[in-house]
Amino acid sequence: MKKKNLPLKEIFLEDERFRISYYFSLEKLILSLQEVGLLNPPLVALRDKRFILVSGWKRVLACIKLGLSSLPVFVIEEKAELKTFLAAFYENLATREFSLLEKAEILSRLKRFGEDEKKIVQHYLPLLDIPSTLSNLESYLAFSQLESEVKRIIHQKNMSFSSVKIFSGFTPQERKSLLPLLLPSGQNKMKEILEDLKEISRRNDIPVKKILSSKETLDIMGSEKLSPLQKTDKMRLILMKKRDPALSSRKESFDSLLKKLRLPKNIMVKPSPFFEEENFLVNFSFGNHKELKTILVKLQELAAKQEFAGIFKFK
Amino acid sequence: MSKSQYFPKKVYVEKRSLDFPLTKRILKNVGPVPREIIDDPQEVIEDIKASKDVMGAGKKYLLITRQRGEFVKPCPCTPRYLGCNYFIINIDLNCPLDCTYCILQHYLTNPLITVHVNREDLWRQLDILLHRKRHRTVRIGTGELGDSLALDHLTENSIDLVSYFRKKRNVIFELKTKTVNIKNILRIEPAPNVVVAWSLNSLRIAKEEEKGAPSVEERIEAARRVSERGFRTGFHFDPIIHHPDWEEGYEEVIKILLKTVDSARIAWISLGSFRFPASLKAIIEERFPKTKIIYDEFIKGKDGKLRYFKPFRLELYKKIVGFIREWGGKEIPLYFCMESEGIWREAMGWIPKGEENLEAYLSSPLG
Ligand code: SF4
Repeated sequence: MKKKNLPLKEIFLEDERFRISYYFSLEKLILSLQEVGLLNPPLVALRDKRFILVSGWKRVLACIKLGLSSLPVFVIEEKAELKTFLAAFYENLATREFSLLEKAEILSRLKRFGEDEKKIVQHYLPLLDIPSTLSNLESYLAFSQLESEVKRIIHQKNMSFSSVKIFSGFTPQERKSLLPLLLPSGQNKMKEILEDLKEISRRNDIPVKKILSSKETLDIMGSEKLSPLQKTDKMRLILMKKRDPALSSRKESFDSLLKKLRLPKNIMVKPSPFFEEENFLVNFSFGNHKELKTILVKLQELAAKQEFAGIFKFK
Repeated sequence: MSKSQYFPKKVYVEKRSLDFPLTKRILKNVGPVPREIIDDPQEVIEDIKASKDVMGAGKKYLLITRQRGEFVKPCPCTPRYLGCNYFIINIDLNCPLDCTYCILQHYLTNPLITVHVNREDLWRQLDILLHRKRHRTVRIGTGELGDSLALDHLTENSIDLVSYFRKKRNVIFELKTKTVNIKNILRIEPAPNVVVAWSLNSLRIAKEEEKGAPSVEERIEAARRVSERGFRTGFHFDPIIHHPDWEEGYEEVIKILLKTVDSARIAWISLGSFRFPASLKAIIEERFPKTKIIYDEFIKGKDGKLRYFKPFRLELYKKIVGFIREWGGKEIPLYFCMESEGIWREAMGWIPKGEENLEAYLSSPLG
């Protein structure tokens, strides 16, 4: 490997065959370059008489942003694509964690450059902290094929493996129409939405596309009154009702009974989780003796009400 | 897997297990199947793990090895539900059948069908357990981490186990199967404390979700022959699956069962609705992409497992208990596997007062 100073314009950045990182911010790196300069030169290789980047995209892009005209690089003399890529891979492996999408890109490059599938499963997956099964490899390879706008959201929302797996099982059109729903959600809500969609679709033999184009959904998504987050929350509720109709309707009836009972704000009656147990929980808060006495009287009045007996139907 | 007897593609024998009598017996019974002596099963296991369907690939191979840990363990009855005080014997691990819902897919780290051949250790451990529990009646069985009879033509386990247990006073031994591999059972003398049990399901579920298993009618026919040979039989409706036309489906099986097998010789019928750890779902989706059984309305139970929403469970149980009573099974002891007191009371009409009470109820085969 030779070290040399290379004019930036001599690096042919359109050739991304070795690139594994796409989504990053350059701010901190620019700051560090300004303070201490480039300590760790990128790797380049010569292909078709042009220098292409093997590793160090972030560093090169930061240098461009800083308006530098040249930078020090290491030139890899290796001609075989796989070996060249491995140089970049191991350089990165030693120094940083890979994101889910970077892992996907690494695996797809290994496959493309002819690495043996069994070796990828047994050797590289564990290096990337992925359980070594062929089905995991296949999932990651599918992730690497996703549309770039989808990949951007996956990166931005730091989506988990299981969510991306469900997402990648949808059609490109379904994925596209889901983006506005996912953008305002946190990881858990996102997973819930994706899981519910998948399961409703499989159970009822309805394509996800059809669920997403129902009138109910279109009304919510097209509403001008609702904020993006409110739209997502409304959709979550609709999906929940479709996914678990019996449980949702039981919850609704319980809540409507409580409404009828007009409990004071500082008394709460709750069923056991999922109505699994036979008892109920009463929560109340008080600040002094008098308040406590008032609550106890209220509770006694409540227990004597005929409607209150309705609660025991929820056992 | 064909529905006939299981023969592996290859047998791996761990070097240090080579001299056990059971190894010799299996190698004789397995016939002209290729075999390889290996130092470390881990290498073979790692190789299988590179397959797309690890579990499916593992079932094609038989590993002969020794049990290094305990052979006998208390059944890991779900915490916080009523258990039935059962012990399990881990002689064989894994099973050549391939049921969609099989918990072993989630539980086993070794995907090979594995037979433990150090029998002397098993007898010693059993002697100790039965001595320790000498004032109680222990129920014990082999069908938890595999099917009790699926490998019986190779291992002849049933012959050894029945001959061990027939001499013991304080134990009821159960073989639990979905197969019709009963040749050895029919050859041996029945013992009053041995129950041969079948897992049953609706005809539809058996056909769609129990890959490689004989039909329910064939299982019931096998049970009839074993019952007429003089053994007590048991039946497990487990997992009961909420599926379209489930009522008709379960009623039909119960009718066939109680018309075919002498109910006076049925030691028990257990009922357990479909429940599974959440992590099994992804495995099932991957291995059985067409199944819909995992998309019903499940809730997270007190034990963390997913189970049907309670009103569904109650409905399933009440109907099935009703069918059993209606079609001639009034006197058969019934019990729930891993259910709450509320479910017992509502569906069965009584609640066992703790495990010992349930144990006494289910020990009726001993008279
Ligand atoms: S018979 Fe039992 S052990 Fe075998 S695959 Fe089916 S559920 Fe699993």
